[in-house]
Amino acid sequence: MELACLGLNHKTAPVEVRERFAVGSTKLGEAALQLLETSGAAEGVVISTCNRTEFYLAAEDVREAVRRLEIGLADKVHGHDGLYYRHENAQAARHLCKVVSGLDSMLLGETEIFGQVKQAYHAAHEAGATGATLNRLFQKVFGVGKKVRTQTSIQEGSTSIGNVAVELAEKIFGHLKDSEVMVLGAGEMSRLTAKALVSRGAKSVIVANRTYEHALELAAEMNGRAVRFDDWLPVLKDVDVVISSTGAPHTVIHAKDIESIRRARKFRPLFLIDIAVPRDIEHACGEIEEVYLYDIDALEQLADEARARRSQQIAECEKIIEAELVKLL
Amino acid sequence: MDRWFLIAATILAAIAGVRGLLILRHGNKSHWTVWWMIAALICQIGYLVIRGEMRGACPLRSIGEISVYLAWSLTLFYLLVGPMYRISLLGVFTAPVVVLFQGFALLPGRLAANPAKILNTNPWGETHSAMSVLAYGALALAAVAGVMFLVLDRQLKEHQLKGGLFRNLPPVRELLVSLERLLWIGMILLTIGLVAGLLMPHGHGAKAHLIAAVAVWAGYIALIAVKRVRGITGRRFALGAVALFVLSLGVFAFV
Repeated sequence: MELACLGLNHKTAPVEVRERFAVGSTKLGEAALQLLETSGAAEGVVISTCNRTEFYLAAEDVREAVRRLEIGLADKVHGHDGLYYRHENAQAARHLCKVVSGLDSMLLGETEIFGQVKQAYHAAHEAGATGATLNRLFQKVFGVGKKVRTQTSIQEGSTSIGNVAVELAEKIFGHLKDSEVMVLGAGEMSRLTAKALVSRGAKSVIVANRTYEHALELAAEMNGRAVRFDDWLPVLKDVDVVISSTGAPHTVIHAKDIESIRRARKFRPLFLIDIAVPRDIEHACGEIEEVYLYDIDALEQLADEARARRSQQIAECEKIIEAELVKLL
Repeated sequence: MDRWFLIAATILAAIAGVRGLLILRHGNKSHWTVWWMIAALICQIGYLVIRGEMRGACPLRSIGEISVYLAWSLTLFYLLVGPMYRISLLGVFTAPVVVLFQGFALLPGRLAANPAKILNTNPWGETHSAMSVLAYGALALAAVAGVMFLVLDRQLKEHQLKGGLFRNLPPVRELLVSLERLLWIGMILLTIGLVAGLLMPHGHGAKAHLIAAVAVWAGYIALIAVKRVRGITGRRFALGAVALFVLSLGVFAFV
């Protein structure tokens, strides 16, 4: 039995094409059976995420099966050429290993793909679309994916500003369930960063914005409360994290503001995240002992470093994959 | 025989520290540190049992014996506190201090090969010695947590967030909570030791030791009181715990 993969992803196909191939997570088993019917293959698995759709086939004559599949998919590709990548046997197994390890993802090393491939395989397996060849392949590949993630640093470090902020907040406060967050300015960046903190369990969110209605809207979205912009300073004594992203052309939070509430805060650690340009928080705030100040450049630099560290890990990951493929094939 | 147990305990603690550091350099944390330290504790207990039999009392009669007892107390508190509060890397930071104290005890002339048997033991005196040195174990561990905080604080302040050390250090708030709890435990034990010290019969020259002990006790009380009542920055709290511990070792100069 031979193995083949036919697929398209964010590198080969624009979103308007990818969305035509997308399969909902509840329809993956059905899609795998459809794949067998269309291609005439003996076994099949369909992987579908927002960035890729891939068809894995096991057949006596995989080239013929892939040819039939492409004919079956012809309706979906009209007007576009060169959308697909095709891999056979060892190359297909290698590609699947890379996918599962996050090496082929838009966000290098992301972990979500591992679960998505697992879900696709289980759906196909339950639908009866897999057999000895694909069962062995996928089981082995999941082991390779785990090995790559545990033996390298491919998934370490945060690669987006929101996640860097969360990682730092957790390094300062541990579990965020006891941490209160204040958002100054109800813009998109502060919304995303606050959302990331809330998703990790932040206790409550307080929003202050010059347009009070916008503060109310964001507070409602975060299950928090809104305060008038002029009232943010008294609130500061209770919060642990401040995300500032106002459109103000001048500094909003000054060192003297922090100094004025230090005693009331009992000198507890305070994490200030300044994602505004021009900056909202006076640089001198970071010189106060218990204050940890990070502006957008510092956060972006940390995200860049994490991305670079992940890129440096690719060769190491590929080495593991090659060693495991030798055992598999 | 007691010396061999002590040498083994020192080697095991050294392995825990060095191995932990090497693994840390590769960005991971050693799950074996705690096991090396358990093995070191067993050897320390072996030493204390033999030495106690030789003395016929708690082996706390010379600066060498006090150093080993302190190292045992520190190891014990590490094993109790580390897993309880899931403080990563505490072992890697504790092991060198254990090696330092035990290495000091192993220096020539610090531990008599045939120590004199103590014939007249006093229960208040025994309680004073045991509780005080046990307290110092907790206070030493508080100082270790303080050093860990200072390292992490500096990394966070200067945005130097690369490397295994940063990744594996526990969060700032957890370090400060553990530090405060260890100071409370140390203070309770030290208070018992101090009260027992006041009730025991005093020999010539005990006055300086007592004054130094009360001064240390007052220093720790002041630090905890400021933290509770007024509040204090983490950096000053940690520096206070480290400085007080280093100064408090001077009490033993009057033993």
